[in-house]
Amino acid sequence: MKNMIRNSLRTGIVFGIITVFLFLVGFTGTAANILADLLNNESAPPLFGWAPPMLNTVIFVGLIGLWAGASGASREKDVAGDPYGAAVLGGGIAGFVQGLLTGLVMALVGTLNERGVMMSKYLAELLPAAVKQAMLGFPPPGAGAFYLLFLTAAGALGGLATRGLGRGGRRPREAIRTWAREKVEVLPWVQSLRRSPAVKYAVYGILLLGILLLPLFAGQYWNYTIGTVGIYVLLGLGLNIVVGLAGLLDLGYVAFFAIGAYAMALLTAPTPHNLMWNFWLVIPIGILLAAVTGILLGAPVLRMRGDYLAIVTLGFGEIIRILSKSDDLSDFTGGPRGVPAVAGPDFFGLNVNSGIAFVYLIFLSVLLVIFVTNRLQNSRVGRAWEAMREDETVSRAMGINTLTQKLLAFAIGAAFAGLGGALFASRNQFTGPEDFNLMVSINVVAVVIVGGMGSIPGVIAGALVLKGLPEMLRQLEDYRVMVFGALLVVMMLWRPAGLIPSSRRKMEIDKDAGLAETAEEGRGK
Amino acid sequence: MTVALETRGLVKTFGGLTAVNVVDLAIREHSIFSVIGPNGSGKTTFYNCITGFYEPDSGEILFFEKPMTGLPPDQVTALGISRTYQNIRLFANMSAIENILVGEHSRMRANWFEAILLTPRVVREEKAAVEKARQLLNFVGLAGLGDQQARNLPYGAQRRLEIARALASQPTMLLLDEPTAGMNPNETHEMTLFIRRLRDELGITILLIEHDMRVVMGISERIAVLDYGAKIAEGTPAEIQGNPRVIEAYLGSGAASGIKPVVRQLE
Repeated sequence: MKNMIRNSLRTGIVFGIITVFLFLVGFTGTAANILADLLNNESAPPLFGWAPPMLNTVIFVGLIGLWAGASGASREKDVAGDPYGAAVLGGGIAGFVQGLLTGLVMALVGTLNERGVMMSKYLAELLPAAVKQAMLGFPPPGAGAFYLLFLTAAGALGGLATRGLGRGGRRPREAIRTWAREKVEVLPWVQSLRRSPAVKYAVYGILLLGILLLPLFAGQYWNYTIGTVGIYVLLGLGLNIVVGLAGLLDLGYVAFFAIGAYAMALLTAPTPHNLMWNFWLVIPIGILLAAVTGILLGAPVLRMRGDYLAIVTLGFGEIIRILSKSDDLSDFTGGPRGVPAVAGPDFFGLNVNSGIAFVYLIFLSVLLVIFVTNRLQNSRVGRAWEAMREDETVSRAMGINTLTQKLLAFAIGAAFAGLGGALFASRNQFTGPEDFNLMVSINVVAVVIVGGMGSIPGVIAGALVLKGLPEMLRQLEDYRVMVFGALLVVMMLWRPAGLIPSSRRKMEIDKDAGLAETAEEGRGK
Repeated sequence: MTVALETRGLVKTFGGLTAVNVVDLAIREHSIFSVIGPNGSGKTTFYNCITGFYEPDSGEILFFEKPMTGLPPDQVTALGISRTYQNIRLFANMSAIENILVGEHSRMRANWFEAILLTPRVVREEKAAVEKARQLLNFVGLAGLGDQQARNLPYGAQRRLEIARALASQPTMLLLDEPTAGMNPNETHEMTLFIRRLRDELGITILLIEHDMRVVMGISERIAVLDYGAKIAEGTPAEIQGNPRVIEAYLGSGAASGIKPVVRQLE
């Protein structure tokens, strides 16, 4: 019992701090807006006198309360003996503590707001209107009391629900898993389905179809975002070869992206050179230019290892950006103003430069790059890269010419970035020096590390999380970098090998036969 | 009989320290030749000179009478010299079979372009490589463990895997650096038998650095002794055991007279 109360108190404090934090960074407002989109209740009639924005805030906070209650109750192992009372009590205590913290902060902030203190001077998201919304139309002490009662109730309800779903104190997730294992997976047709490869392909097929149909319904803004994510997938896959497979830390990867983009811009735009070449012609040129630059840069630099390589490539990335910005070269590169009116793709005279068509073009490029990466990874070349990453000295003793292999990795990684850059410039119909700052390199490194080094699905997941999520949380703008940092820290603790770490390919086909053989030998002796 | 590896007046210095001091050796084909000496006597530096990790300051290295001094490590491997390490250095995050496949690198030809196109030749080569890797796994007694990550294998298995990886480059000569380090007497005995099998069944010339005198005396045909980088003795196991300079190198001057009975006991 004492144990239970301590656990619930701790849970309540943690959830209380989280709730207060979310309120202070304005996320309760953001979440209310997201809920409004999801529930589509913007024009719904007021409930208990709450207009939809306030109602959604209440719902959001209530959900956190339910979660706190569930956590408070399910942490407790003593609950197993006692049907419902203890679970409700545990959840209630967690909710009460959470509500106490939240209520106090609400009352305090509300009072300050009413006295005319501009909270937004200290915390940008706390505009007077936002605070009013969080007060739900109550005076500050009333709002505090409301949150206290409301969260206690939500917590108790959460505890009750956990108990109901949990069947004997187990967490609901475990309960569902056990149920699935005991009742569903023993069914003959489920087992045969699990074994048949057709199902696997069908699932992949449906997924792929979903992705392919997505741009048709996503609308302009989301297509733009999907395109950005796609380009980051291209960059991530390229850097994945350099960092993830070959183990060369390249912090100036943006340079190759810039070269691809500038190749597209300078060769197809009316200014500054008026060459007006065709998009399709310039794509391979951009790829080739980036690859050649990779080799030219790599030849002197790749003799260095680890940190030294990182520093030199970091410098190179900045050099390219500063050159493109330079006034002396502005006749050639367009200078700080960049290059406008970059050409889009046309297809036999048919202009397909619409948002949707471009998303498909990016999809196609991503598929091509995945294909190439996959083939390379499972070949002699890919193994040589991985061996270098594991132990460079030994890989040389194994007959690998490490300089050649590093150059190859650098060139192929650069080629992918060149493709990404060319598409990027064409999609934006503009390119300029500020598109290629250091943050791009850092972001791509983060995509590879967060996703899982050396893993293709990992890179895609990483790009979705690091480029897609911030777009979805646009309203967090001011705190994006902070959340990004927090996410990286959590990632490192939670999944140190990345979201989807690379797995080793099984190669010893009839493993069981092999084992039997060894057993046989053992008996022979 | 043919000489597999010959060094003539090999010298390697690091600043003021002469790690290898005018070493002349000739190792006959199909023999098991051991290099012994106290810690820091230059044995591993000698290995690193042969395998191309260090460029000797002077002297010559010949492999089947062809000069190979100063060749980079990957070309030394391509010539047919392979090695293992004193402290096991496997590609820890790769599977056992992949470790062996990396060893086959120098005997494979697929380049990046063919790999992307997956030409029939590449498919054939890859299939043959995997098949050979499995045979090597069987040969070293690790059948069925191919898909395990190298880091998860037990210590003895890691030693064997390292040898299998070295064998994958089809060497005519194998340099083993303390293959029984950290093994119990039982494992040491098995390793000794295994090294002999390498020579007898595969016809590989073996150069061995080893501290365990039972192993050295048991399987070597000839032994060279290094001390402060210089070769102080060479001969059959019996000759080396009785050599007072060797005993002095290991135990200090004046020890030779006292130690002889102990050495005899060990026999």
